Amino acid sequence: MSALEPTTPSVPKRGWLSRPFALTLPALILLAAVIGYPLLTIVLRSLSEPQWGVQNYLWFFGAPVNLTVLQRTFVISAWVTIVCVVCAYPYAYLMTAVGPRARLVLVLCVLIPFWVSGVVRTLSWVILLQDSGVINSLLRAAGFDSIRLIRTQTGVVIGMAQVLLPFMILPLYSVMKGIDLRLMRAAQSLGARPSRAFFTVYLPLSLPGVYAGAIIVFILALGFYITPALLGGPRSTMLSTLVQTQVLSLLQWGRGGAMGVVLLVTTFVLLALAAPVMRSRYREAGRR
Amino acid sequence: MQKTKALYLSAVMALGVLATAAFAQEKPVAGEVKEGSLKGKTLTFVSYGGIYQDGQAAALKEFVDKSGVKLLNDGPTEIAKLQAQVESGNVTWDVVDTDDLPPYVYCGKLFQKLDLTKLDVSKIPEGQVGECSVPAMNYGVVLMYNKEKYKDNPPKSWADFFDTAKFPGVRGIDGSGSPTGGLLEQALKVAGGDPKAMTVADIDKAIDVVRKLGPDTIFWKTGAESQQLAESGEADMLMMWTGRAMTAVKNGAKYAPAWQDWLVVMDQMTIPVGVKDTDASYALLNAYLGKHAQEVLAEQTSYTPINSDAQPKVDASVSAFLTNTPERQKQGYKQNFKFWVPNFAVAQEKWSALMAGN
Repeated sequence: MSALEPTTPSVPKRGWLSRPFALTLPALILLAAVIGYPLLTIVLRSLSEPQWGVQNYLWFFGAPVNLTVLQRTFVISAWVTIVCVVCAYPYAYLMTAVGPRARLVLVLCVLIPFWVSGVVRTLSWVILLQDSGVINSLLRAAGFDSIRLIRTQTGVVIGMAQVLLPFMILPLYSVMKGIDLRLMRAAQSLGARPSRAFFTVYLPLSLPGVYAGAIIVFILALGFYITPALLGGPRSTMLSTLVQTQVLSLLQWGRGGAMGVVLLVTTFVLLALAAPVMRSRYREAGRR
Repeated sequence: MQKTKALYLSAVMALGVLATAAFAQEKPVAGEVKEGSLKGKTLTFVSYGGIYQDGQAAALKEFVDKSGVKLLNDGPTEIAKLQAQVESGNVTWDVVDTDDLPPYVYCGKLFQKLDLTKLDVSKIPEGQVGECSVPAMNYGVVLMYNKEKYKDNPPKSWADFFDTAKFPGVRGIDGSGSPTGGLLEQALKVAGGDPKAMTVADIDKAIDVVRKLGPDTIFWKTGAESQQLAESGEADMLMMWTGRAMTAVKNGAKYAPAWQDWLVVMDQMTIPVGVKDTDASYALLNAYLGKHAQEVLAEQTSYTPINSDAQPKVDASVSAFLTNTPERQKQGYKQNFKFWVPNFAVAQEKWSALMAGN
């Protein structure tokens, strides 16, 4: 870790304003007000409604549907992350390999959909994926059987991966553009086949970008609401939809809160488990 | 001396005020409002958007013009939002259009018990005025089927809807939130139960019948989605709101209704607990119940007016989906209201589990 961490030269004490902490104060206040306080309220309500106690958590773990959906939420998010890595990696690599003009085109191809609302993109996927939609019409025209895409987990993963792809490409690109491509050539001049050079030199160096992108995509995917609601069916419902039902239809704000807290804590636990692995790889990458 | 005179004067004035008050207490007439009576006031009306709320706004135009009130439209109706407003003591929704059941489930808690001396309910069809609500309109949930798929052997009832062996194909069901009591009762009949003597255990039985429709079943989230499913031919049999069914057919969907046991449903008009100006809310409600307002609403939406004097002028495509003809009235199926009101939450919970794939 330390090898990559920027070392800040010690600033001579000139006053409180010169300290970085003071400069981050507005951001900290904002975070406390719009994230910290509401989060605290949610935790409190999950423990206090309808009365004080852990009844909402007992309910959560007592109802099989909640556990199924919680598990499904993580499985779908993991698939989305995998699809994003597989699609984004070559793309980001291409961005580093081409000239400035082609790169601009590639960047725009990532950013333009990024600027279009996720709802609009999801609705476009509805048109593409539905049984009477573009993909199935083409399949039928080509003489194949149509396949069910909409209201399946596959459909949800496709839609979510497309919406989240920029969050994978951009961190990957920012890491990859810092990798000196001459290292690959050096490896090959020392006798490594291109694939060997890639796996032993390039891939490890690009891993920090993969991790950064994967974590962002995975966490964003966990909280997805619109895309699974529109592209999914009952068998691809994610936890956010259940929270919505509890809060908006059943008025069980305590239960909704408990579900949110469970998702948050489970995410933290998973990240804590993954962190040591990533840190060691990160350090390794830094050393090379 | 001066003092007695002042006292005398104020007494006379008080009497005068009382007299005007008594005079103002004359019986309200549905659809009427005093010229300029709400000048400078603002009312927020909340409903479900789309063609429906547009129609309601058009129906209320006369009321707005005459009373001088400023009418704001908001939506969609979400009971949780209303609860938040009532709990925090800051109610900004003055008149709220809700589903069938909420005014009965939350009567007195979120919705005011209505003072019927302030409303003219004489023209509302019998049995539709609740303790906390008057009807907003009547409509139906109807079974729509794909004419090209079933050709000479179309489904005729909800029993056929649930029979995937005799009628293969994809089904589309209202998954917009709350369960539709009438549909669950029809499902229960298929399972051999008796909706009239429904118990909580029967909810599970009914939901099992729905679950058996299989993994291809579509649960649509919005009325617009159900319309899209019909227009693109995604589902072979669809449970649809009559207004949306009408619009889909108008837009070219090759679907036809099976009217037997269409489910009778209505939206409700309510006044939330804690509104700033209760009388203004009553004035809006009373205007909404008027003959002309109801005619405008029906003409724009195909939903059935709840003023029995209303004679909406509609074309054939709309009248085909009106539910107030004698024939339709005979075919309609009314849900077991007494059962669903106290069991609203438990039914909702079981239904949500189905929606989540369990």
